[in-house]
Amino acid sequence: MNKLLPLFLLIFSFADLDNEQNQFIARQGQITFFSYTSVENIEAKNNQALSILDIEKEEIAISMLMSAFVFKKDLMYEHFNESYIESDIYPKANFEGKIIEFDANTTEQQTKIIRGQLTIHGITKELDIKASIENKNGKYAVSGAFEVFVKDFDIKIPPILASNIAKTISIQFLFQYQPYEK
Amino acid sequence: MKNKYTTQLLVLLFIVMGFTVNAQGLLDKLNDEFPDAPVYKIATFKTTRIGLGHSIETRKKGALEISLYNRYWNIPNFEGQRFLADVVSTRYGLDYAFTDNITIGLGYTNHDKITDGFLKYKLFKQRKNSKKGFATVALLQTISHRKIENTNGNIYQQTTSASDRYAFTSQILIARKINTDISLQISPTFIHREENSLTNDPNNQFAVAFGGRHKISNHAAIVSEYFYVANPLKTIETYNVFMVGVNWEMGDLLLQFQMTNARNFAEDTFITQTRNNFNAKDGNFHFGFNATWVLQTKKKKLK
Repeated sequence: MNKLLPLFLLIFSFADLDNEQNQFIARQGQITFFSYTSVENIEAKNNQALSILDIEKEEIAISMLMSAFVFKKDLMYEHFNESYIESDIYPKANFEGKIIEFDANTTEQQTKIIRGQLTIHGITKELDIKASIENKNGKYAVSGAFEVFVKDFDIKIPPILASNIAKTISIQFLFQYQPYEK
Repeated sequence: MKNKYTTQLLVLLFIVMGFTVNAQGLLDKLNDEFPDAPVYKIATFKTTRIGLGHSIETRKKGALEISLYNRYWNIPNFEGQRFLADVVSTRYGLDYAFTDNITIGLGYTNHDKITDGFLKYKLFKQRKNSKKGFATVALLQTISHRKIENTNGNIYQQTTSASDRYAFTSQILIARKINTDISLQISPTFIHREENSLTNDPNNQFAVAFGGRHKISNHAAIVSEYFYVANPLKTIETYNVFMVGVNWEMGDLLLQFQMTNARNFAEDTFITQTRNNFNAKDGNFHFGFNATWVLQTKKKKLK
């Protein structure tokens, strides 16, 4: 018995404790943000945002590298990373939330509120995001849009440049999920 | 007995392991999913010049830099009355980035009438969180041209002939972003000047440039530079150049304010032919003000 037990435990520890069938991953999630002012329009896109959707726990998590945002003007990229978001110190933006009243069985498009915490620039905010969730033959797609305030995340804009950057930034997202495999 | 302990230990280990696997959140799971693509350090310096000399920075493809570099100083015991400073020297410059790593620039200085051009190539880039890519390395080659007027002749017939004088500066710029705030640069420099038969000054000179910046806010940094010349000119007394200043970034506009003893703008001239020391005496104190405007001629399409 004593000789068999370690083997038994070993097999057990390799077996998955989470049920992986309930988890879906998106590796090329798209996040776009816009800042519209009369002086300048800023638009940036990140095509490499990661997300996991757990349909059993009704949870969703999103993580992205700030340095993966692409801007129309290269100088904006440098300023975004160096002067505002400080991606040296805070390389990622994260979101973790729960989908309220998520219906895992329906194949129709459903619009739900995702309640969770958004972390940008090292600052975490509670947030409700309206998202539409679609189940296409076992593959999920989640998309939506929301707005955040620049000052909520302690991003300092010098007064002289205040007119170039909008006070509210609108963000669009689209994630297409595949069944999660290691 | 010993076996029993081992078993108990294993059971404990199993429970702890099972617990940690369960506690692993979705975000932690995502953390492991990030691809191992190399991340390069950006903005070791925000400007393509630290102050007087070049920094390792090159602009991204399609960027056009329009620059006005000004230097103000006083003439000692000057009889006239001029506003603020007795002499103003301005370099008008135009730099264009052909690729992310290659920049070509041209400039003309009105005071010493030197035309200069340069080619800068970024060779290596410093990487984030990696043992590879310890520092960023860029190569710089400059050429400068000045016309020397020789008034030749006798009282009956004055002839003025002008001769072209070229000088070349080669630099290896090596810089490392130590942390978010501090960047340091060291650049071995070689200067070649066309032969001058009248003096026994060296035609080839070696120098080392030291530079650094310390960020004081997200938009402003204190910068300093020092140029050590290994074999200075013999015919005139020269001093090593020192600069301390502030670089201020305002979006597309970059402003640099500096205190220095350098008078000229072309590398070969100010590194080797600065005739005054760094102090606050009239004629020695030089105030510099550089304004650079970055214009993006090519815009990326967001896919």
